[in-house]
Amino acid sequence: MSITTEVRPATSRPATRKRRTVSRRQRPLWMLAPGGVLMVVVILVPLAVALLVSLLDLDQYTLREWTGAPFIGLDNYVEALTDTPLPHAIWISVGYSVLVTVATLPIGLAAALATQQRFRGRALVRSAFLIPYVLPAFVVGTVWRTILQPSGPVNAILGEQHLWLNGPLSYWALVVVQLWTSWPLVYLLALSGLQGIDGEVHEAAALDGAAWFAKLRYVIFPYLRGVLGLGLVISFLHNLNNFTLPYVLFGVPAPHDVEVLPVLTYVESFQNFRFGLSAAMAVLSLLLVSIPLALYLRAVRLNSDES
Amino acid sequence: MKRLPILAAVCAASLFLAACGDDASSDNSSDNGLSGAGKTLNVLVQANTIYPEQQRAWFTEINDKFKAQTGAEVKFETFASANDELTKIQTAVLSGQGPDIYSLGTTFTPTAYATGAFLELKDDDWKKLGGKEAFVPATLGISGPDAEHQVGIPFTSRPFVMAYNTEILGTDKPATTWDGLLEQAKKYTGNGRYGLAVAYADGFDPWKFIWAMSVQAGNPLVKDKKASLDDPATLKAYQTYLGWLATDKVVNPAAVGWKNAQAIADFGAGKAAFLPMVSATSKVTLDKSAVAGKYAYAIMPTVPPGATSTASNGVAATSILSGDNLVVAKYTKNKDLALALVKLLTSPEQQESYYKTFGELPTNATAAKKLQSDPALAAIIDSASKAAGTPFNGAWSQVQLALLNVVVQSIPSLQAGKVDDAKLKSLVADAQKAAQDALDKQK
Repeated sequence: MSITTEVRPATSRPATRKRRTVSRRQRPLWMLAPGGVLMVVVILVPLAVALLVSLLDLDQYTLREWTGAPFIGLDNYVEALTDTPLPHAIWISVGYSVLVTVATLPIGLAAALATQQRFRGRALVRSAFLIPYVLPAFVVGTVWRTILQPSGPVNAILGEQHLWLNGPLSYWALVVVQLWTSWPLVYLLALSGLQGIDGEVHEAAALDGAAWFAKLRYVIFPYLRGVLGLGLVISFLHNLNNFTLPYVLFGVPAPHDVEVLPVLTYVESFQNFRFGLSAAMAVLSLLLVSIPLALYLRAVRLNSDES
Repeated sequence: MKRLPILAAVCAASLFLAACGDDASSDNSSDNGLSGAGKTLNVLVQANTIYPEQQRAWFTEINDKFKAQTGAEVKFETFASANDELTKIQTAVLSGQGPDIYSLGTTFTPTAYATGAFLELKDDDWKKLGGKEAFVPATLGISGPDAEHQVGIPFTSRPFVMAYNTEILGTDKPATTWDGLLEQAKKYTGNGRYGLAVAYADGFDPWKFIWAMSVQAGNPLVKDKKASLDDPATLKAYQTYLGWLATDKVVNPAAVGWKNAQAIADFGAGKAAFLPMVSATSKVTLDKSAVAGKYAYAIMPTVPPGATSTASNGVAATSILSGDNLVVAKYTKNKDLALALVKLLTSPEQQESYYKTFGELPTNATAAKKLQSDPALAAIIDSASKAAGTPFNGAWSQVQLALLNVVVQSIPSLQAGKVDDAKLKSLVADAQKAAQDALDKQK
């Protein structure tokens, strides 16, 4: 590609631009229709319905004729922010998601670096690392629920009676279990990043006599930056949106210290039948997750502009 | 190029409509009448995890019987949990299509009634079911807000009782007051054994205790759209219930993490003298446990904590009115067939065989009478007749959740060995507000 740029004479530029416009006009865009239709049906229609429902006073009394439910404007949003535990839930959700995301980075990276070199049984270790990630959240929740019971193995090992599934410690229980199940994602991405580094780079670093840390810091990390950034964003969004794990671990109604956003939204919808209020909460959480996403997309675009 | 988005939108819309249309046409579309040949009734029931094979056999048996009777087929669908059930009901209510008949838990019937999606039974409809007199009168207590507006047809009865270890109690008789029960529990606590096995982390059990002690003391919790969760009687109920573990120490401290099944398992291992708040279905587990043959059932106390008799304005309820109701969807195109199937399911023969297979008590008066003489069931049948319905209110699910939430949020302070009264009062005040808000929204 670099060769064509060099060879291309400056005068031919207008011609290329013209040709590009022509080809743009002739692009078979209709072929996007199946995917587009799917997008509309699977994403846009439900999103529009959710937005609409968030403006309605929809509950068990109006559910049957839901289009006739009273339109109450932004009342659901006001109620969600002022008269429900939503702000507290956002605080809990964001706090634990950040903690888990930050903690997955060194663990995932270390695991990827450790399994980068060939050694006997590497395939086995690599597969074992993926176990927490491939287990369904329901299974993870059930197993940890048993482990963390008052008379469970953790307390037996510690020799002390701690309450893990309710009260202040439940927050840390959630952090640890979520960390346990989500670090392999960063590990996987870091591993793929490491494998993408050309062998010559390692060779060049070795020839220059770089010590292992300098090599890691100045040679390897820059290569991994993009892929790890993606890993962190995905991981953060996963943590923030995770419903199954806290639901299975702590049940509903959730203890105050682990009343995370998705569980609160669920309770409002499926236990309290406040569908409008719950939809407003869901829309607010959508706004919340779009912040890191926007930051990430912006960063990616800046990168591509630089290149 | 500009047309493309429009085209895509049109495509999407038509696809969407087509998909909806398909669903609708696959539903039963035919006239009423009992010649059901070629028709299918869909019935949604809870998956029976204790007797899965028997349940499958029962599905086939009902289908065969009903087909012989009317020519129509019966297709059973199952849901695994209460949440699963709720999701299915909501989808059906919202879309106006789905199962023809649902089996609902009694405490969910008021909410189902509030949606207005289920058939209100007129005199004619009851006649088609063999008349209201065919049912045990008490079981009709949670079919609707009053005798004229009923949606639920009683299908099974599962009253709550308490199990006690006859070996531990010896010649002692189980107490009939909550205070008496506590005294007995204290007496039998020790040597690695506890007086009571109570599931503090269960999603339902805790509010049933609070409700029972409250109504016995004369507080119905909800009356005429007014919540009274902050009544002193209810506070006393919470203090008693939480105190068992925190201050009286008659419950295993590990019980703060227990669900109902774990409490049953603990009692089954012979580690507790009493197991309050279980239904006849616990018999299956207990008969296979270490206490097999060494336990019996008794009704739970009906005298509220701190009192010597049930309050004059109280109800001597031994249990919530518990079990399953059948409801017929309003949107069904086979109403008469659906009622005919409900009649079959609630007939004396079917109810008797259902009890024999699954251990759930009949709601059919004739079938229930036959069981009265069985001594093993005496306490359970007694409880069935002394059970009281929870308030029939569309907001009951919310009230129930508010009651439960007080217990959930109180658990961390129990380990300190006391019931924190100030915290409890503020939690109860929150619950009262949540319950009243829900009642105010009632339409």
